[in-house]
Amino acid sequence: MSIDFNYKPSDKMCNLIARNHALLSVLTRFGISLGFREKTIKEICEEQKIDCQTFLSIINFLENQYGIERYNYKQGICMDTIIKYLKESHIYFLDYYLPLLRQKLEESLSNDAAESEDFKSIVLLYFDKYVTEVHHHMQYEDKYVFTYVSNLVKGKPTGNYSIIKFAQKHNDIGLKLSELKNIIIKYYPFNSVNNKLNDTLSEIFRCEYELAQHCKMEDYLFTPAVAELENKLNK
Amino acid sequence: MNHRPFKILIAEKSAILRNGLADILKRNSNIPLSITDISEEKSLKLFLKLHTPDILIINPLFPTHERIKDITKEYDKMNVVALITTLMDMNTLVDYTDTITIYDEYETIDNKIINLLEKESDDDDSEQLSSREKDIVSCIVKGMTNKTIAETLCISVHTVITHRKNIAKKLQIHTPAGLTIYAIVNKIVDIKEIKESIN
Repeated sequence: MSIDFNYKPSDKMCNLIARNHALLSVLTRFGISLGFREKTIKEICEEQKIDCQTFLSIINFLENQYGIERYNYKQGICMDTIIKYLKESHIYFLDYYLPLLRQKLEESLSNDAAESEDFKSIVLLYFDKYVTEVHHHMQYEDKYVFTYVSNLVKGKPTGNYSIIKFAQKHNDIGLKLSELKNIIIKYYPFNSVNNKLNDTLSEIFRCEYELAQHCKMEDYLFTPAVAELENKLNK
Repeated sequence: MNHRPFKILIAEKSAILRNGLADILKRNSNIPLSITDISEEKSLKLFLKLHTPDILIINPLFPTHERIKDITKEYDKMNVVALITTLMDMNTLVDYTDTITIYDEYETIDNKIINLLEKESDDDDSEQLSSREKDIVSCIVKGMTNKTIAETLCISVHTVITHRKNIAKKLQIHTPAGLTIYAIVNKIVDIKEIKESIN
């Protein structure tokens, strides 16, 4: 299978998922539900009133590791669409994915050993602190960054804020999750095999990856597009 | 406490070379890298400004109006490596920190990148904490500040900070919450001792 393959408006939506099922959660965030029949990407985007070009930029960006220039700012990303997508992504992580992980952690760390309650409670404590941080990180973006860009698009006054301020201090929020994962891998204190915990770890790996992808999209798709827009408006 | 991935930016016209080099760099599993590749002058300017990389790998023939000298001056913390694709006069390459040629083997390329990043990266694999470091961990998880730790252990605040850096490096744990889990699992502290400070 080719590594670098660009999706086109005329491709069937079902083929997109057949090729890469990780894109399922992306469709959810666009509000696209299963049951594609034989419809193409273009048809579904029209039905759902999604800007097709932006949809393709996001999908192709996520699908390809390299060559980011080709999917991004030059092809005319619709700011409203990408902001809506990023906001939906925040809701997905905060309201769905992270609570799900917590529940899985809690279940998989419960066992008969007397100390297990202690271990479980400190791991969950770590996790909760982490979630609070993710909340702050995403709230900042929702409240300030996206509002700034929306105002920019509408031509409203934006003060002296500029996207470079965001770009330079934006960090990958997935990193701390990898610390938790490594601590469990290295220091799990019980001598029992735990299939459930392995599943949970795989899930943490996936969440870490999705968060990293999310941050990467903000850094390399969204931010350059905003910078271009600022340039255009001579800001 | 540097545990973010190092950023590498590849500026090269040829898609084969860009992606090939990025793939080779990705094989290195010891140092986390975030690799971006670009092919146009406009993107070079934009990405240097928005996401200044730790290393810029650029073909000296890459079309740009800016001289490497000026780029290195503007981004003085960034290393600039020349990607050599053809026979070149070495005298024209004095402004680059290092060179990679398209005939280099994996190991050569790897070593060059590692050397450039080594100053900052964690290459200390020994994981055993000294007893002093364990004392420090125990203090940290009890919620003590650097100043209180220094007073309790009769050492300077500066020494406490050095210890904390070494602990983070040895364990690859960078947060107090992470250290708490480590300390309890390794029985450096008892959970009852710290119940109050962690809630």
